[in-house]
Amino acid sequence: MILFSLFFSSNGYCATEEINSKFGETPVIDGEIDLSSKEWSKAVKITTKLDDLDINLWVMQDYSNLYISVQIDLELAYHNATEFVGIIISNSSSEAKEEFIDAKIVQFSNILEDAFNFFDYYINNSIFFNDTVYNGDGAAKLEGLTSTYEFSLPINNLNGNEEDVELNFEGSYAFNITYGDRPIYPSGVKKSGIFLINIKELSTSTPSILKLILYIISIIIFSVLGAFLGFYMYKIFRLKKKIEKFKR
Amino acid sequence: MSKIPKQPEKKDNLKQKYRTDENFAFKSVIISFILGCIFFIISLLFNTEVITIFMNREIIWTFIDVLIKTIVVLLFFLFIITSFANYKEVIGKRLNWKDLLLIILLSIGQTILNSLVFIFTFIGLIIIVIYLFLIQEF
Repeated sequence: MILFSLFFSSNGYCATEEINSKFGETPVIDGEIDLSSKEWSKAVKITTKLDDLDINLWVMQDYSNLYISVQIDLELAYHNATEFVGIIISNSSSEAKEEFIDAKIVQFSNILEDAFNFFDYYINNSIFFNDTVYNGDGAAKLEGLTSTYEFSLPINNLNGNEEDVELNFEGSYAFNITYGDRPIYPSGVKKSGIFLINIKELSTSTPSILKLILYIISIIIFSVLGAFLGFYMYKIFRLKKKIEKFKR
Repeated sequence: MSKIPKQPEKKDNLKQKYRTDENFAFKSVIISFILGCIFFIISLLFNTEVITIFMNREIIWTFIDVLIKTIVVLLFFLFIITSFANYKEVIGKRLNWKDLLLIILLSIGQTILNSLVFIFTFIGLIIIVIYLFLIQEF
């Protein structure tokens, strides 16, 4: 599929925000945020705008993927049946238009039935070409008034594939997050915003060890406290018996 | 005129007052202990993250999350210290600094998984301890 572009009309963009990614537990990419399993609980969460469209943007990573979630609250009448969210990735932190060569798109074919497709494109001279091999994953779901889009993008895992941007640990990349209402790229794009995402280095496993140690200490403290309260309750009962005996 | 001295009646009144105070103190030991245990269980559920109410969507929810965890630990401390101090009074002793330090450590220890809760609880505990110190009769 080749679709011509009217999208890149200037030489570059201006990044609105810089986001430092955080390590978290791997989420299930199904367009649904499971609160009970603490999915995305460690993600960096910001409320921002794509032009004038308010969105919640969540970013996190594990040891193999970068995860991005976009949530859009709109009145039902304003949700388009064929709306989409796309992530257009720059080769570097540069926001020059020619650097944006990779696009991951989650496209609804019918939002009311939660029917969607994930597309992986590479961009050449502002034209979107389908990748021969899809990298990453994406999903979307409409719940109430909120449409939730989830993406996973592999880090350090492309093996020389030139159709995708190779994301590296400790790297900074410009991401153009786009929202549109028609499955035509990029002319279907209605709103967009650039974000600079800093991927955390791989050797940051120390916090998880520290966290584990803190968990163990916390369990010990609660156990000691439980034992202390149990012993104290026993002392109170003994005192009660003594008082009753004394009264008699 | 009565020749019976009034002293025994006074003693009886004092005994009665002492018993009423003792009963009140013991009641306070039990009620404060039960409330302390309730807040201990709530703290266990929230501060070990067994239950997560808020997904920290926005900063206000993070603030509410931290506030709930902090208040629960401070209330735990307040009720347990009240119960323990009254218990000591009933058995004729005074709460010493070692007991106080133990309860402070066990209270602050509940919050080690969240640095913000730890800081706010620490500040709260200092304020409570200063308050308790100032209202003491020397």
